[in-house]
Amino acid sequence: MSEPVLTARALRKTYLSGDRRIEVLGGVDLSVAAGESVSIRGESGSGKSTLLNLLSALDVPDGGEVIWDGKPSIGTAVRATYLGMVFQSFYLIPELDALQNVLMARRMVGRIGSAEKARAKELLAKVGLTERSHHLPSQLSGGERQRVAVARALMNSPRLILADEPTGNLDEKTGDAVIELLLGLCAEMQTALILVTHSAVHAAKTNRKTLLHEGKLHDVV
Amino acid sequence: MPWYLYLALKQLFPTGRRFPFFTFISIVGVSLGVALLVVVTSVMGGFGHEVRRMIVDTEGEIQIKSGSYINDYAGLLEKVESVPGVVAATPYAAGALMIEYHGKPAYPGMRGLDLATVENVVKLSSYVTLGSLDDLDDDSVLLSSQLAQSIGASVGCKIEVYSPLMIERFKRDEVFMPREVRVAGIVYIGHQQLDSSTVYCTLRLAQDLYGLGSAVHGINVRVKEGMNEDAVAARLNAVLTPGVRALSWMDSFSDFLWVLQLEKNMIFFLLLFIVIVAGFSVASSLLISVVRKTREIGLIGALGGKPRQVAACFCFQGLIIGVLGTLLGLGLGFVALTFRNDFVLLVTKITQRDEVLQRFYQFSQLPSYTAASDIILIVVSSVFISMLAGLLPAWRAAKLKPVEALRSE
Repeated sequence: MSEPVLTARALRKTYLSGDRRIEVLGGVDLSVAAGESVSIRGESGSGKSTLLNLLSALDVPDGGEVIWDGKPSIGTAVRATYLGMVFQSFYLIPELDALQNVLMARRMVGRIGSAEKARAKELLAKVGLTERSHHLPSQLSGGERQRVAVARALMNSPRLILADEPTGNLDEKTGDAVIELLLGLCAEMQTALILVTHSAVHAAKTNRKTLLHEGKLHDVV
Repeated sequence: MPWYLYLALKQLFPTGRRFPFFTFISIVGVSLGVALLVVVTSVMGGFGHEVRRMIVDTEGEIQIKSGSYINDYAGLLEKVESVPGVVAATPYAAGALMIEYHGKPAYPGMRGLDLATVENVVKLSSYVTLGSLDDLDDDSVLLSSQLAQSIGASVGCKIEVYSPLMIERFKRDEVFMPREVRVAGIVYIGHQQLDSSTVYCTLRLAQDLYGLGSAVHGINVRVKEGMNEDAVAARLNAVLTPGVRALSWMDSFSDFLWVLQLEKNMIFFLLLFIVIVAGFSVASSLLISVVRKTREIGLIGALGGKPRQVAACFCFQGLIIGVLGTLLGLGLGFVALTFRNDFVLLVTKITQRDEVLQRFYQFSQLPSYTAASDIILIVVSSVFISMLAGLLPAWRAAKLKPVEALRSE
């Protein structure tokens, strides 16, 4: 196994609900190696999205630490190139067409040249949307939108992709296709993947299966 | 192009869509305010410019006056014309008269002109529409156009002239006869006040009517083009004898010009509120946009966007609306200015009030003068207000935390 691209140690997160303090994560340990795919399953409200927010540095833990590429902190600009993110609700920018949405990930961290445009087109081709590259999100189906989101997540050649229930808004068949695509592209590009999902079928396709239960992450054999 | 500017442009002008309603309304709001400011400040500037033209064309840039009379004006003329910046000078006598023609009296102002030098300072001949300045002699006068019309006199008619000196004689029980003079021409300057009640005569006739002897009331001075009138007036004052003062046209009419400037400033200030209201509309629309795009703002944060860059995105939207609205407003304003007289003509024709307009506003046409400084002030104000309008939404967007924004429903 190669060097981990991300390591989480004893991550804790609590929320206040009125006077009550709810511990969502009670010491989560996780390590993901380059090219490895890890699934995280768990009940609704078990803290899966909270864990992803901590792993992506969008939120700060109350305890523990996250190490990205051997470093204990990650700047905003580095995060944009180190991590790719795929969300349940796609979150495409409605004013931009598919190609522009993919290019947006690169635009956030640098200039757009012919090489970047070529890469965005190549990624759209890989997700099977060459013909739809100039269509707006409103002109795409749910599955197509999520495929654009996958291409966007891969645009900056990240070391790790965090996917938060990417099939949650898709039908079973389309969801299966998106997961196949995501796993295939991550394997091809040696990109690590953390997949949060409710689906046992999708989780089964990853290299390592985990379950988040009562604030702790358990390996599932 | 930085991503926040790119996204600002895309949110205002989305790919593959028609001109969005929000963008259209916001730009039109700003442009209407700017167009009104351009039209009104230009017309107010036009009034000021017309006043300047009227004063300078009929009296020169500088007037030299004393508390009473100037006796040795020939010597003074020589001294004045030797001052650098002075092109020419001409003496004048001025006062009030009563004239009568076929029982119709009028009480115009009188302007006595030195025919040998007047054309060097005042191009009076270009304003003579009937008759000729060459026909003017000590037994004739030129009448302003509306004055001639009001008493029914025309070129060649003989009118009777009464001066205040005659009234003084009458008080001393002396018998006096009015002076009978011929109308040598009609003058039309284009300014209601001058056209309605001015009699132009020779300096000698004016001196006779007022009993001035060889004295005059003042000297009009023409200044070299491009020279600063105040600077030349200061040079003149340095060589003039005490009691005689040179005043630039701006000093002579400083109260009137101050009132004109005050009116212009007040109107500018009031009309600026239209742009401010348009700015509020932009701010309100952008705030709605921030609320609608909360999750997109969260995504931008997740993709690596910094809060200040998110703020810049919304600030730029205000700025772009301001710049486009200002450009469109300038265009609209100048088109309106081009057709202003056609519009005024149409309104006065419909209301049949063209004479009223001329009587009250002094000018036969709606004047316009656009100063570059006014345009710069309008452009800077409107763009600045529009950018300010983007600040509040920008601040709100920058405050959003990506995690909370992504979770929002």
